[in-house]
This record gives sequence, structure tokens and C-alpha cells, in this order.
Amino acid sequence: MRASRFMVLLYASLIGVPILLYLRLISTLYGAYLVSDILLALSAVGLIIFGAIGFMEVYVHKAHKIADVSMQTNEPAMSASHAEMARRGTKIVNISVSRFDNESKSMRREAYRVEADKNTTVLGALLSIKSEKDPTLAIRYSCRMGICGSCGMVVNGKPALACETNVFEKMADGEITVEPMYGHPLLKDLVTDFDDFFERHISVQPGLHRADKAEKYSAKEPYKLSREDIDKFLPYSYCIMCGLCLDACPVVNSNPNFVGPQALSQVYRYHADKADQKGIKRLLEVDTLDGVWGCEFAGACSKVCPKGVDPAGAIQLLKGELMENVANEEKK
Amino acid sequence: MQVLDFDVVVLGSGIAGMTSAIHAELESSEKLRIALVSKIHAMRSHSVAAEGGISGVLYPTENKDSEQLHAYDTIKGSDYLADQDAVEMLVRNAPNEIKFFEHLGVPWNRNEDGRINERAFGGMSVPRTAFAADKTGFFMMRALYDELTLHKGVEIFHEHIVTSLIINKGKFLGVHALDIATGESKLIRAGACVIATGGFSRVYDFTTTSYSSTGDGIALAYRSGLPLKDMEFVQFHPTALVPSGILISEAARGEGAHLTNADGKRFMETYAKSKMELAPRDIVSRAIVTEIQKGRGFSDRLSGLDYVHLDLMHLDQKLIDERLPMISDISKKMLGIDPAKEPLPVRPAAHFTMGGIHTNIHGNIMLGSGPRHATGLWAAGECACVSVHGSNRLGSNSLSQCAVWGRIVGKAVAKHVAQNRTRQSNFATDRAWEEERRIEEMLSGDGGEDPYALLAELQGAMGKYLYVYREMASMAHAKKIISGIRSRFSRVYIKDKKRLYNTNLRDALEIGSMIDLGMLVAECASRRTESRGAHAVREYPDRDDKRWLKHTLVQKGMAGNRIGYIPVKITRWKPQPRVY
Repeated sequence: MRASRFMVLLYASLIGVPILLYLRLISTLYGAYLVSDILLALSAVGLIIFGAIGFMEVYVHKAHKIADVSMQTNEPAMSASHAEMARRGTKIVNISVSRFDNESKSMRREAYRVEADKNTTVLGALLSIKSEKDPTLAIRYSCRMGICGSCGMVVNGKPALACETNVFEKMADGEITVEPMYGHPLLKDLVTDFDDFFERHISVQPGLHRADKAEKYSAKEPYKLSREDIDKFLPYSYCIMCGLCLDACPVVNSNPNFVGPQALSQVYRYHADKADQKGIKRLLEVDTLDGVWGCEFAGACSKVCPKGVDPAGAIQLLKGELMENVANEEKK
Repeated sequence: MQVLDFDVVVLGSGIAGMTSAIHAELESSEKLRIALVSKIHAMRSHSVAAEGGISGVLYPTENKDSEQLHAYDTIKGSDYLADQDAVEMLVRNAPNEIKFFEHLGVPWNRNEDGRINERAFGGMSVPRTAFAADKTGFFMMRALYDELTLHKGVEIFHEHIVTSLIINKGKFLGVHALDIATGESKLIRAGACVIATGGFSRVYDFTTTSYSSTGDGIALAYRSGLPLKDMEFVQFHPTALVPSGILISEAARGEGAHLTNADGKRFMETYAKSKMELAPRDIVSRAIVTEIQKGRGFSDRLSGLDYVHLDLMHLDQKLIDERLPMISDISKKMLGIDPAKEPLPVRPAAHFTMGGIHTNIHGNIMLGSGPRHATGLWAAGECACVSVHGSNRLGSNSLSQCAVWGRIVGKAVAKHVAQNRTRQSNFATDRAWEEERRIEEMLSGDGGEDPYALLAELQGAMGKYLYVYREMASMAHAKKIISGIRSRFSRVYIKDKKRLYNTNLRDALEIGSMIDLGMLVAECASRRTESRGAHAVREYPDRDDKRWLKHTLVQKGMAGNRIGYIPVKITRWKPQPRVY
């Protein structure tokens, strides 16, 4: 691709020069020497100039680009020797990355060799692959400090944030494999589609509900909350919406109608907030077989949560609150 | 091409962007159709990474504080380059915004009697920074996103990158956006636009910011011929973790952490005797760099980066758990260091860009150095230069800026749209098609320039020549290097030729923005022959109010950039020597 302009000129001159020579011959027969000579001279000069530019672009200015291309054979980015790497404290790591192609709906695995040190994260390694070896690799990432929730993927079979996963630690298992979260629809390579995930979150109407909207938005006085009041919902407000819990949940993966752990944990977050005034209504909305009662308490969601939110626990607390509500209703 | 019509389009989904969408919605009694366009998932904008807190005088009597004192601290911190009327606007409205976010559900840290706690921050005379652990920005973002889902008038366009503003004779008509997931072009037409796309600290390699902080909105404004202000001023946060650059909040020092050099000495004694570690960021950053240059730093063998120590070991474990849990967690996860047991390796990193789109105090984007502003075009947050931070921002003033101007511009756009009818012409459609052709050409081009190599060269030049200390010759050299990078970018090669989720194309677009902005930093910086706030020039170590008490304006001209200057607005605080 890179050499195409030069090649076009090469072919053009291969075809063009004989044509011009033929024209020169024809015109000689009719005696129009001057016109044909000027034409021939101009074309020759033009071809030489463009040819030279093309040659420079391909072989002189772009010398380092060609070196980049050759690296795409997935050899180590650094040509450092083992001794040199030992001195630097780096090692070559084999990373096998799942590549999903949306057009053909096919998945292949590609192996890369990356030089890593004790601080290298899986995200760091993937980004070095992207910038140095294969810019077509699709990854979703942003803050690289575990707070934006972009880079959820499956590393060595376990859902995790790539930016919080250390390469050397994972190397203990041998080769590192990186796959997309299969619990979400695939878009490209390691990137999954979050539309469905966001819909689940929105469906439970997160957000602080106040009976008096004018009071809520005018915000004249802070709500009266003690430290203990805040501690009740604080652990559930750490959710970064990374989608790992949904990926890990065995129920939602077999019954897509189940609202799922992330959204339900957020129901509890707002329900447990003393300032929220939606009350029992918030609970009744998820008092269904595809709501809290869909949870079979496998606990995978809480295990994979990188921020220590306990969605499984939140769902059981919601069940308890609902049972208590039924008991209260019966008393009445 | 899909053509979408809205009343308002908000570019950017950080605190300023989402806040403005909510206030536009509330102001119009939920009658407007608002498009919120984010190049990433809306709840993941860089605002989530804000740690330490938000400034605002909540309890003047109890804390012996006042709005005047907050204003004075901010102006002194800005090295007198802040517009004082804007600062007064900030300090007056900030306390209300803290309460507003509380009403959206932000769990502000409380004291025993249930009052919102405030902590000490750099350059602030008294504790006036409200906080939610050390994840303040994250909690504000989550509350905003959840609140937005309750407002049906706001439609969120996740992962849409805007590549061009469509403006005709100073009037906003729409934007061209690329849907990253599908790769399709979209024309979003609207009567008003809020640009809230954040800063551009990613022009530096060693930065605290997310990969998304590439300044696209500022670059869009610049390419549309709109003026930018004070581009030379880049804030370097003193304490970024080596080697990743991840932010260790100023709150650590606010809660009592010390900075120490290789001799084990608290060196801030030499540089800011009264404030010590809580001097403003420009001063602490210069102190760290000076210590390192004098050979009193440490060196990281792996990255080659020099650093000093941030020592939290004398802090109570309970205080760390309650007030600094994230930085403790990050240090353990990223470096295997428990800050309660070992000091953290830190050095200054690009953190915030004081410069940005030239706006007036109401957030209107200006057309030039005069009083005329564009019609239907506002900017808020880090991408806007109002200017409240002047040449150096005080920590925790950025979140209040985003909240205060988010509200101001949100209300203003709603009023504007209610009063002005938009009539659509073919102009916007033609421009959008032109833009689509430009993207297509970029995508199909076979020039040989690797965008990632260009970015690495840009970041190398910025970090080497436009870091904490600057020199006249090196700034001139940086200009030359970046100018070369810019011309090479016209032959950028995008290897991924497919439209679907093409991050190679997105990266190239962002890198194009960053190259333009890096060039502007170099150009504006090399003109300013004084040291003020974050701009410290070796040859001119002093502030020069006679010649330089003025804002830099830069605008794209027919041949090169036009650089001019406008006066600083001074209301009550006359410039004085800045000593801490």
C-alpha cells in the first residue's frame, strides 16, 4: 500500500514512454517535429521529478516506517538481548489476544510478544501492541487507574479490569490470554456493546427520588444525614459500571430477561439512602421473577467486582426487605 | 448521512457537560430536546478521576472563612492573571453547587454532627474543600449520570467523536460527528451548543489525565477560527506516581503527608516556609524539579524517571481508610507499595490546562478580542478559559468551576433556544458532507506517517522543552519540532481501513488535535518573556506586571496564527508580590 504511488508512476512510465516514442515516430511521418519533441521532453522531465519524489517517499523518508511494518510479524518490539533485558528488569511476555471480526462474525486468536516490566499492566501491554505492532487492535480504555470502568475484559479466563491487572502476576500461569467479555454482545476484538447493559441500569430508574422536585433542585439545605446513614449505601455506590458482574453472572447469561446484578445493586444503593423518598415502590418494581427473585445467589458477581461492591449481597438484602414488607402488609 | 435535529447539543459528558444538560432541561421545564455527545461512554469522562474535592465556603462562621478570602486565595494562586469578576462569580456560587450535588446523591464526607466536612488544600487559607473520600469526581459523575437518566429530554450519544463545528458567520448550526461503533457520519443540527470537552494534558507523555484528555473541543474551536486564551499555561501536579503518572491527590498533603528528598529532609521549608507542602502547585512542582536537578532526588531504574518521596507513613491508618482509600488502593495495586509503610515515588506531571476557548463571564464563546461573541455557542469546564485560574489553578477549584459554569451555560442555552428560532439551510449539510469526505480521504490515504510515532515525538518535545521550567531557546526549538510534526501529520497513515469501531482512526483524529494544541502552547509560551504561575522561564525569573499583566489570545489566521493580548479584569485585589 505504502509503495503504491511510486509503483503507479513506474507502471505509467513503462506504458507512457513507448506511447510517446510511438507518437514521435508518427509525427515524424507528418513533419510535426517541434510539437512532439516538446511533448516528449516535458513528459520525460515530469516522470523523472515525480519518480524521484515517489522514490524518496518510499525509500528515504519512510525508512523507519518500513521497520515498523516488519515488526508486525509479532516479534518482540525491542531487539534487546536477554542480558540487556535482565539488566533492565524486563521480560518478554506472550499475550494471546482474541480478535473478533464483526463482518464475518469470526473469532481468531493472535499471539504477540511484548517486553514488560514489574509495573506493566495488561492494558499497558495491549496499548503497546496497538501503537507499535498492530494499530487495528480495538480496545476500550480511558483512565488507566480503575475508576472509569472502560477496560473490563477476560484475562486468563477471569473477568477483570485490564488496567488493574499486573502482567507479571498473570504470567505465573504461563501465557496470558485476553478475551472480550462474552456476556455482552461483541463489537470488535476486545470491545463489547454496552447498550443492553446501560438499558438494564436505566430500567430500574437509578437517581435520587424526592417527592418535592423544586426542593430537590433548589438544594437550599443539605439533607440531614449522619455518617452511619451514609455508610448504609456507600459500599453500593462504588459501582463503576464496568459490566464485569453481568459477564460473570450465570443467570443473566442463560436468561437475558433477568435484570442482572449491576442494576439490582443500584436499586439497593438508592433504597438504602435515607434521602431517597421512592420508598417501597422502588422495591416493588423489582419484586418479579426476572427481578430480585431471578437471582440464584451464585455470587460470581461479587467475586469479580473490582471495586468491592457486593451485588449478590445487595440482592439478598432486597429480598429480605420485600419479605419484611409482605409481613407488614399482612399485619395490617 | 444521518441528519438529526435537536434544540441543544452538548459536547462532552464530564461534570461541566452533564451539569449543563441537566440545567438546560430544568430551565426549560423539560421541554427541550438535548443531545449529549461523548466520545467515550458518557459516565466515563475524565472528571471521574478527580480525587481531592470541590472548593466552596460552606460554613463561614465555623471555619472563619469568607467568599472574599476564597477569592483572594484564588487570585493570589493565579499569580494575578485570573479575571477577578469571574473569580467572584465562582466563589459566590460554589457553595450552592456543593449542596446541589448533595441533593443528587453525592455522599459528602460528614463530621460527627452531620455537617459536610471540608479539608485543607494547597493555596487555600482555611479548609474549604468538600470531598467524598478521594473519589469526589467519580461520585459527582455517577450522581450526574443517574440523574440524567431521569430526564427524558436528554439523549446520550455514547462513543461519538465530533470532528467539526459547523458555524456560519459567527452563528452555530451544528456538528459533524462520527459514530465510533458503526463508523457512520452524523450531522447533528441544533440551535445552541455547549462545548465541554475538557483539557489537553495528554500532549504530555507524563500526565495524570485519562487517555481521553486530548483537547478535541479546543482544537475544533481553533480550527473554526475562534480565539483561544492563555494557552501557554499548563499545570503540573506535583505528586504523580512514578512511573504511571497516576494522580496522588493533593488531599494527601492536605491530610498531612510530607514531601522529602534523598537526604530525608522536608525540602518545602526552603521554598514556601509558611505553607510548606500546601503551597500552590506551581511552586511545589518547581521545588521538586529543583531538588531533583540539585541531585537530591531518587531515580527509577526501569523508567529512568527521577522522583522525590511523598511520605504518608505518619498518618493514622483510620484516616487513610476513610479519607484516602483510593490512592492507598492504587499504590498497592500498581506498585505493590502500602503508603502506610513506605513512601511513594512522585514527580510533577501535566494535570490541567489553564488555557482554552476564550469565553466571557457568561460562558459565551468570543469571536475575537472585542466584546462580540458567537451566536448559540458556549463553553464550560476545563476547555473554557473564563478565566478563573489565571496562570495557576488552585486544587479543588476545577470541580467548582465545572459545576458553576455548567449551570450558567445550561440556563443560558435554554433561554437562547426559547427566544431564537433556528432555520436550517443547506450550509450545514454541505459542510457535513465535506467533513465526511475529509474523513474518507484520511481513512483511505496511504501516506507513510505512523500517528503513534508522531504522538510520541510530540509528547517527547512537550515534556522536554515545555515542562515545569522553560528556556527561550528550548521553546523556540520545540516550535520547530512541532511544526515539522504537524506537516508530517498531513500524510498520516491509518492502517485500519474498516469503519466499524475504528480506534486507529479515532486516535489519529485525537492526535491531530493534540499536535495543533501543542504547537499553540509552544507559540504562546515562547512569546511570554516573564515567569508567572505555571509558566517559569529561566531567563526571566520574575513576574513582569508592566508588560505582561495580560491574557494571550491566539487565533488561526490565513497565514499562521495571530497572537494578541487583552487586559486582565481587576476589581478589588491589586497585584502584589506572591509569597507563601
